[in-house]
Amino acid sequence: MSEKEKAHPPDEDLVRGSLAGDEGAFRDLMERYKRRAYGVARGIVGDPDEAQDVVQDAFVKAYYRLKDFRFGSNFYTWFYRLLVNQAIDRWRKTSRSQTIPFDEAWVSGDTSDPEAMVYPKTPEELAENRQLSEGLTRAIAALPEYHRTVILLREVEGLAYEEIARVLDCSVGTVMSRLHYARAKLKGALKGFREG
Amino acid sequence: MDCTKAREMIQDHIDGRLPPDSARAVREHLGACRACAAEEEELRRVGDMLRLWSAVQVGERELALSPLWTRVRAGIEERKEPGLARLLRRWFWVPVAAIVAVVALLFYPSDGARVPFHPKSFDVTVESLESDTATVALVDKGKGLPRVIWIIENGKT
Repeated sequence: MSEKEKAHPPDEDLVRGSLAGDEGAFRDLMERYKRRAYGVARGIVGDPDEAQDVVQDAFVKAYYRLKDFRFGSNFYTWFYRLLVNQAIDRWRKTSRSQTIPFDEAWVSGDTSDPEAMVYPKTPEELAENRQLSEGLTRAIAALPEYHRTVILLREVEGLAYEEIARVLDCSVGTVMSRLHYARAKLKGALKGFREG
Repeated sequence: MDCTKAREMIQDHIDGRLPPDSARAVREHLGACRACAAEEEELRRVGDMLRLWSAVQVGERELALSPLWTRVRAGIEERKEPGLARLLRRWFWVPVAAIVAVVALLFYPSDGARVPFHPKSFDVTVESLESDTATVALVDKGKGLPRVIWIIENGKT
């Protein structure tokens, strides 16, 4: 094993270690994916505390289901499937009755000239632009849950269509159509913003 | 390539799913068509903004995520317990609550004016006899207040 692999062992090695009873190996896996997992869960369930609970539950579940992991496939695809199911279940239990309307004022874009807008380039710039940040939160929350999930897995996690299809147990065509819809909706929302 | 065809292919172009020839054709069209180029730019911006948004959310939660292992480990340990032990620990309060409820009922202080009615014998008198078919009331006069213990009305108890 190279020095690099020792310092940053592949996921599969950590899975093997976990299965052999090495708790530290599973902890390393968790540390590796917890931020990304939280980002996905936060996008799906909306609430920060709920999202953290989802991540925690997904890792506990993953620990006990590691024996079902098929070596040769990606750990994160396998784990995201647990995570996403957990997040969607949680979202349905807590928010099913709440329907967030998509703000048509954002999607019209009639009065805005896209070339006149200056969009943030860093997380810090976005955090300072509370109007845009909160607007994005609302726009994401207004998407149907599977569309929200697809676009987060694609744009934030960078998963391939085929990987998303495996995570969501649907066809690649379904992924494409959901992604198309979600992008169009969020594009419309962004058009409503101007600089400042 | 016309605009309709280009717009159909923009998503695949953004996601790098087009074969080289098609990708080149789309790029050529975008270079010549401002409207389609703007469309592609706006769709790419959706991804940029989502990545920034997610980074902001994760950053704001960074501190809370640090001790996540402690919580995950606790969850793992909890599920390690044998099923029976976990059930007992989760539901032990049910028999305890039942016992407490029964004891509370047994020792519940009774109202002094209303002594519990546990007669060993009856001292019954016919208190009211209005007619052959109307109302008959059997009353236990006992030591306290009189108590109606039976009513027969029109032949029905």
